[in-house]
Amino acid sequence: MNTAQAGTLESMDCLVTVSKAAQGAGVKIQIAGSSAARFKSAMEKKTAEVIVSMGVKDIDISIQDNGALDIVLGARVEAAVKRLIGGER
Amino acid sequence: MRRTMLYLPGNNPNMLTRGYLFGSDGLVLDLEDAVAMAEKDTARILVQHFLKQGEFGSCEVTVRINGVDTEYWKDDLAAVVPFPALQGIRAPKVDDAATVKIIDEELSIIEEKNGIPVGRTKIFCLLETAKGIWNAFDIASASPRVAAIIPGGEDLTADLKTSRSKEGTELDWARRMLVFAARAAGVDPIDTVFSRVTDDAGLRKETEFIKQLGFEGKSVIHPNQIPIIHDVFNPTEQEIEKALKIVAAAKEAAERGQGAVSVDGRMVDIPVVKRAEYTLVKAGLLEVK
Repeated sequence: MNTAQAGTLESMDCLVTVSKAAQGAGVKIQIAGSSAARFKSAMEKKTAEVIVSMGVKDIDISIQDNGALDIVLGARVEAAVKRLIGGER
Repeated sequence: MRRTMLYLPGNNPNMLTRGYLFGSDGLVLDLEDAVAMAEKDTARILVQHFLKQGEFGSCEVTVRINGVDTEYWKDDLAAVVPFPALQGIRAPKVDDAATVKIIDEELSIIEEKNGIPVGRTKIFCLLETAKGIWNAFDIASASPRVAAIIPGGEDLTADLKTSRSKEGTELDWARRMLVFAARAAGVDPIDTVFSRVTDDAGLRKETEFIKQLGFEGKSVIHPNQIPIIHDVFNPTEQEIEKALKIVAAAKEAAERGQGAVSVDGRMVDIPVVKRAEYTLVKAGLLEVK
């Protein structure tokens, strides 16, 4: 599996889509949605933190946000990456 | 106090964020029926993150795990038990003491592995089958972890091969049995949910009924139900006043070396004093002994 998703577009949630990237491509994060304009850098930081803690080096991440708090964003990124790695979906 | 235990769908960030603000005594973060099969993994991770970093105010925090007959329950426990915010787990479809023991053993393994005092995580048992109700006392006394037993609503009705009525006739005996079993085992009897969320009068009537049976509180599926249930369970001013009188009279009698006294023309002996003290505990005027 090359792509996986977790989350929803409901209020206070976000939809995270992750795709495998070529070795050496690094971590690419794209954020769109309601809080993106104001909190983009904080959201990128949180996302990167989760990715690093999971030992993933090369990945593309796209986040469609609808007002997700830090906790929710972290959980959705972790879930999406676990699905990508584990092939749960 | 366990007057109200509010269910929060485990895959709903909005409810998990705001749930504690509705003022219930407890929360049940739900990984079972409120979560679609395809989202069991994401809900588990979301609930875990909330236990790690979320706000719960003064609520007693529990997680309803998936049943021991599913492939999910061990992963559910491993994900939530390590966090200090978690006080107990609500186990569905507990049919007998053996089910409690299986969960108890798994909890001990996880607690030990994570350096948590063994026995810290309480178990709230849902008795959702005729067999579960029949075995209520054995279940309630199967482990010191058991904090409460709770009758099922829909599942139990289905197992009894009947249907839900407005009066709740079909659950009448199960509720009475459950209170006896819980009190005999020294755990809390907590009632099932009231599912007609817009029927306030019906909720009040049912809550008055289950309070009279001896229930300690009720499971809640909508925040609007909380104030109504609290209103029924809270002692009235008259009850508090009477309780204060009784406790004061009993204290005075004890100081004088007398056993029983009379308050307002009524004999006050130990059970009456105990009940008065319990009223004051519920009113927040006395610490739990």
